[in-house]
Amino acid sequence: MTQRRSYAVGTGLFIVLGFAALAYLATQTTSVANQGGGDTYKVETRFANVGQLKVRAPVKVAGVRVGSVQAIELVPGKEEAKVTLAIDDARKDIPSDSVATIYTSGLLGDQYVGIQFGQSKTPVKEGGEIGLTRPAQQLEEMLGKFFGGGSAPDRLGGTFHVTGDFTNIGGLQPGAAVKMAGVPIGSVESVVVKPGAVEATVTLAIDKRYSQIPDDSAAAVFTSGLIGSQYVAIQPGGSPSFLADGDQLVLTQSALQLEDLIGKFLVNGSPSDNKSGGAQGGTQPDTSGKK
Amino acid sequence: MTTRDDNVVMRSLAQIGACGLFLLTILAAIPRSLKHGRETIRQIWFVGAMSLTIVMTCGLFVGMVLGLQLYDVLSIFGGTSATGTVVAIAIYRELGPVVTALLFAGRAGTSVTAEIGLMRATDQLDAMEMMAVDPIAYVVAPRFLAGVVALPLLGIVFCAMGVFGGHLVGVTWLGIDNGTFWSNMTAAVDVHKDIIDGVLLKSIAFGIVVSLIAVFQGYTTPPTSEGVAYATTRTVVASSIAILALDFVLTSFLI
Repeated sequence: MTQRRSYAVGTGLFIVLGFAALAYLATQTTSVANQGGGDTYKVETRFANVGQLKVRAPVKVAGVRVGSVQAIELVPGKEEAKVTLAIDDARKDIPSDSVATIYTSGLLGDQYVGIQFGQSKTPVKEGGEIGLTRPAQQLEEMLGKFFGGGSAPDRLGGTFHVTGDFTNIGGLQPGAAVKMAGVPIGSVESVVVKPGAVEATVTLAIDKRYSQIPDDSAAAVFTSGLIGSQYVAIQPGGSPSFLADGDQLVLTQSALQLEDLIGKFLVNGSPSDNKSGGAQGGTQPDTSGKK
Repeated sequence: MTTRDDNVVMRSLAQIGACGLFLLTILAAIPRSLKHGRETIRQIWFVGAMSLTIVMTCGLFVGMVLGLQLYDVLSIFGGTSATGTVVAIAIYRELGPVVTALLFAGRAGTSVTAEIGLMRATDQLDAMEMMAVDPIAYVVAPRFLAGVVALPLLGIVFCAMGVFGGHLVGVTWLGIDNGTFWSNMTAAVDVHKDIIDGVLLKSIAFGIVVSLIAVFQGYTTPPTSEGVAYATTRTVVASSIAILALDFVLTSFLI
């Protein structure tokens, strides 16, 4: 009998240990631990883009968690997302003119809603709305801004066409951006090989808003960043007269070939080694396209 | 040659079929076996509590080695603070239930098979039937139930020890910040997906499969000492295959 009881006690201990371990895992190593059980009040926000924001993502003021995202839904008939925030009752003092922004924690982290306080004396109420929002920054757009791909400008004002002859356009594609001072002002409309010459004629469609480009400007094929796409950069000259539709850019600078550059570094490679036929990467503007 | 292959296939199929029928027999006998509740408790002690040492030791070392490996790999990306998260998730979702079930099959499943097999070989089971004691209700069902109860508890203890081991290596030895370790872990681990679905559900499924294979192999063993030896081996082999295959199926449903 005593032996039997000792089995029962030992088994009971084992089961208690198992459940204690379960309680430990469930409370200490999971997100239950940081879900404040207190009451919350709801605040609505509207974002043009919520990015990767997820339900239950934190809401933070000055980096401190004050609540969580309760629901994300599309506003019917609009390209807009309604995000319902559940904010702890202890934080009743959020000004009604605060700004809600979607941030990303770190470069690859999850997204959360940050609230910057406004100046208003009236706090936002249960069911109220934070009207001022900033949408999630899309990494692609930010990279685009850095690496110059950018978005092609709208063509509301129409475009005018100019051409330029390049000895080598590298990887330039129709549709690539045309930029002046880094600002997209148009796009490459076509790239054709000039008959009878080892040159490419590039037609640029430039927005009519940028009509005051000196007619002695130079065009160069640049690469945005080390691995970015190629674009045509216009370097304005000093002439008092401006480019008009159908004009030709005389001063052109061909694309730099990475291989040529590396070759120059490594072996002082001469362009004559180059077997790509007329692909002379050079940093000097070549004037071969002169009329 | 083909006839022999046919025989192997047919034999395996017959085994699986007999195993399924045996499960139904056990389930039908469970209400009767509850009269012998003390026997079930005694079996939980033998298959569960007595397996604690090996499960806890292995859990600790699995957690430690995971911590070490992940720290090494994550330091390439400067992401060592994620060590705790990955240790916890890897252990909860896969290693905890699977390794515990494999250990359980080796530690407890074999002893159950050998015990029942020897009862068969020494005609004890027949003697019980002669005395109008149902061996399924008195011998098989308590051991089956004990396995189903004990394995989830062992799995949870394994997970707790694994996280502790990961903490030991990551924080105490390699110097990851203690707060970062825990806060990253708590932010990423989900009670439903990782603990209930991951540890508990899988462990219960493995508990059913391993216990069933163990008692079935023991009960149907040829009544010779060689037969008992083969049955014990088959328990380990069949359990291991069943655990890993079932783990894949369960994961693909749960994920």
